[in-house]
Amino acid sequence: MATKNKHAIRVGLFIFIGLIFFTVGVLAIGNINKTFTKTFLIKTVFDDVSGLQPGNNIWLSGVKIGTVKEINFNENTQVEVIMKIEKKSQQYIRKNAKAKISSEGLIGNKIIVISGGTPDSAPVENGDALPIEKTYSTEKMMNTLQENNINMLTITDNLKIMSEKMIEGQGTIGKLLNDETLYKNLEHTVATLTRAAENTQELTASVSNFTKKLNEKGGFANDLVTDTIIFNNIRQSVAQLKEVISTADEFANNLKDASVDINNNTNSPLGILLHDEKSAASLKLSIQNLESSTEKLDETMEALQHNFLLKGYFKKKDKNDDTE
Amino acid sequence: MEKLNKSDIIKEQVISIQGLYKSFGENSVLNGIDLTIHKGENVVILGRSGSGKSVLIKIIAGLLKPDKGIVNVLGMDIGSIDEKQLLKLRLKIGFSFQNSALYDSMSVRENLEFPLIRNSRHLTKKEIDHAVEEVLEDVHLHQTINQMPSELSGGQRKRIGIARTLILRPEIMLYDEPTAGLDPITCITINELINEVQERYHTSSIIITHDLTCAKATGDRVAMLLDGRFVAQGNFDEIFNTEEETVKQFYDYNFIN
Amino acid sequence: MSLKKREHITTKGLDDYFLGIYNAFKFVRLFFREVFKPPFEFKEIIRQCYEIGYKSLPLITLTGFVTGIVFTKQSRPSLVEFGAASWLPGLIAIAVVRALAPLVTALISAGKIGSNIGAELGSMRVSEQIDAMEVSAINPFKFLVVTRVTATTLMIPVLMMYFAFVGLLGSFLNVNQNEHTSFIAFFQSAFSPISFLDVFTGLFKSIMYGFTIGMVGCYKGYNASRGTEGVGKAANMSVVISMFLIFIEEIVIVQISNWIRIA
Repeated sequence: MATKNKHAIRVGLFIFIGLIFFTVGVLAIGNINKTFTKTFLIKTVFDDVSGLQPGNNIWLSGVKIGTVKEINFNENTQVEVIMKIEKKSQQYIRKNAKAKISSEGLIGNKIIVISGGTPDSAPVENGDALPIEKTYSTEKMMNTLQENNINMLTITDNLKIMSEKMIEGQGTIGKLLNDETLYKNLEHTVATLTRAAENTQELTASVSNFTKKLNEKGGFANDLVTDTIIFNNIRQSVAQLKEVISTADEFANNLKDASVDINNNTNSPLGILLHDEKSAASLKLSIQNLESSTEKLDETMEALQHNFLLKGYFKKKDKNDDTE
Repeated sequence: MEKLNKSDIIKEQVISIQGLYKSFGENSVLNGIDLTIHKGENVVILGRSGSGKSVLIKIIAGLLKPDKGIVNVLGMDIGSIDEKQLLKLRLKIGFSFQNSALYDSMSVRENLEFPLIRNSRHLTKKEIDHAVEEVLEDVHLHQTINQMPSELSGGQRKRIGIARTLILRPEIMLYDEPTAGLDPITCITINELINEVQERYHTSSIIITHDLTCAKATGDRVAMLLDGRFVAQGNFDEIFNTEEETVKQFYDYNFIN
Repeated sequence: MSLKKREHITTKGLDDYFLGIYNAFKFVRLFFREVFKPPFEFKEIIRQCYEIGYKSLPLITLTGFVTGIVFTKQSRPSLVEFGAASWLPGLIAIAVVRALAPLVTALISAGKIGSNIGAELGSMRVSEQIDAMEVSAINPFKFLVVTRVTATTLMIPVLMMYFAFVGLLGSFLNVNQNEHTSFIAFFQSAFSPISFLDVFTGLFKSIMYGFTIGMVGCYKGYNASRGTEGVGKAANMSVVISMFLIFIEEIVIVQISNWIRIA
C-alpha cells in the first residue's frame, strides 16, 4: 500500500514537472521560427535613437532582416545598439553600409534602416560596427543655424571693440599685441569663425538637398510644396546662406593671415601691421562685411520662419521661449 | 457452536471470509474477520457506528479491496477476481444502501428499469414492464410507479431501493442499516419485507444494523463486531445471554435509549 | 523522526498534491480507455448534450450579444481617431472569433456547466448512487463520466460558434446604428480578415475547453468526499480549477497558433 502510494506520488510529480516544462517551454520559446534561424550580431553607435526599443525591426532595402537585441549607453553617453541579423542576409550587408533610425510608416514603431554599401566592400562579420548615416532633422538644422548666427554676432562684436580700440589708439599697440590673452582670443575667434563657416556650409548643403528633394517630381514633399513662392524663398535663403559663408570664409582667411603675420613677426616692428592704414581699412571692411552678413543671416532666418513647412517648429520654439 | 457445525455439513457455503484485514491509512478498520454464510441464511452483523460493518459488506460487494485475507463469494475470490467476473458476480449480489441511493433524476419506474435494461439489452418492453410491476408488488408500492424519489417517504425509498436490487434476482442480499432513520412501525414493516424476500427469492442475506429489534426479527444468526473483530456469534438469545461486558453494554444501551 | 520523514517523498501536503495529480491523470487515462469501448451510451450522450448545450443557450445568447455590443462600442473611439471606423467589423470579427467567443463561452460554461456536473456527480457519490450503479453491474464511469465529458467536448464548440454569431449580431446592431452599415456589408467586411486558421484555432480551443470543463467537473464530483459539504466543495473546485486550466490552455494554444500563423 505504502510503496504503491509512493509510486503514485512519483508519477504525479513527474507529470506535474512535465506539464510545467511544457507550458514554460511553449511560452519561453516565443517565436519558433526566430528560435531556429541562425543569426549574427552587429552594432552601431547613435547619438540619439529616438525611442528605439529592443525587439524593433531592422530593414535592409525594405526587407526585415532582424531585430534590435540590446540598447546600451557607452562611456560617451552615446547609444550602442546591438542588432541580431539573420545569417542569410549577411552577404548583402557590406562593411561600408550605413545605418539610420527611421520609422515604420506614419505612426509605426521605430526601425533601423541599413542602406548603402558598395559591392566592392566585403560583407559584414559578426561583431562589426556599422557607421551611421547622418540625418538632418529640421530641428537640428534650425538649431545649427541659430547657433551660427549667435557665434557670428559675438565675433563681430569682439572685432568691433578691437578695431575701435585700435583706431582710437587706446593703450599701446605693444600692449595690445603682447597681451597674450588678447592674442589667444583672436586666435580663438578665428577658430570659431572657421567652424561656423564649416557648419554653415554643411547646413546649406543639407538645405539645398532638402530643396532638391522638394523639387523631385512625384515625391511626397513635392506634392506638398505647391506654392512656388515659398519654394523660391527657400532657394533664396540658400543662396544667401552661401553668400554668408563665402564672406565669412574670406574674412576668416584675412584674419588668419593677419594672425599668422603677427605670429611670424613677433620680433619685427609691429607698426607694419597696425600703422598700415591699408590693413586697418581692410580690417574695418571685413568687419563691415561680417556685420552685413550677420544681418543677412538674420533675414534668412526670418525667411525660413515664414516658410510654412517650418512654421510649426518656430511656433513651438516661441512658445517654449515664452514659457521660460 | 455445536449446532452450527452440524448445519455446515448440510448447507452449501455462499460466502466465506478468512482472516480479513482492511485499513484506511493509519486507521485499521477490520482486524482479522472470519465469517461463513450459508445458503438461505439471514445473518445480522451488529456493531456500533464506525466499527467497520459497512466496510465489510462493501468488500463483499467488491466496492472495496481487502488488504489481507480471503473473501470467497459464490466460489469466487474477490481479492483476485478480474473486472468481467466481478460484473458477473455483482449481478448475483443485491445491495440495499443506507440512504437507499435511488437515482434522483429518474422516476421510480426508471430507477427499477435501469439495472435491468443495462444488464440484459435483449429484453422487450413488455418483459421489462412485467418485471418492474412484479418487484413493485413484492415491496407493496405499486402506486408509486410514476413518482420521483424526492416525493417518496423514507420507508418507501428503502423499499424501492430493495426492489431495484430484486429485479436482478440476486442470490445474496446485503442490507446496510435497513432501519436507520425510520420510525419503529416502519422498521417493523421493513423487517417483515426482509424476511419475505428471504422466503420468496431464497436469498442469503447479511443485515448490518445496530438496531436490536431488527436483529431479533430478521436474524437467523447474529454476529457482534467490535474493534474490527467478531466478539460473539450465535443466535440472538445465545449472544445476549453471555456475561461479557462489552456485549452486555451494547444490549443495555440499545434498549435504554 | 527521521524514519517518519522518509515516509514522504517531499512533504505531506505536497505528496498529497502530487497524488492528486496522479489520480487525475489516471482518471483521464480511464476516460480514453472507456470512451472508445462499446457499448456506447448514445442515448445518454444525447440527453447530456441537450442538458449542457440547449439549456445554456439563453445565457450564451445574452452574454454573446452584450459582449458584441460593448466591445464594438469600446473599440470605436480609437478607430475613429484614425478615421478607420470602417475597420470596425473586421476588428470585432477577429477579436470575437480568435479570442472572445472561445474564452467567454468557456468561462461561462465553466461556471454553469462545470459546477452543475460537479454538484450532480458529487451528490450522487455522497448519496451512494454511484456505488449503487456499481453493485448493479453498471459501469458508472462509462454511464456518468464518459457521457458528460463527451457531451461537453461536443457542445462547447457549438456554443462557441453560436456565441460568435450572436456577438457579431450585437456588433452589427451597434455598427448599423452608428455607421448605417448594411447587414451584408457588415458581414462581408467582418469575414474578410478571418482565415481558416482563425476558425480552426477557435474550434480547437473550444474542444479543449469543453473537454477540460467536463473532465474537471466529473473528476471533482466523482471523487467528492462524503457529506454534503463535499458536494459544495466539488462544485466550487470544478469551477475554480477548470477556469484556471482554461487560462493556461488559452495562452499555450495562442502561442502555438501564432507559430503556425507565422510559419
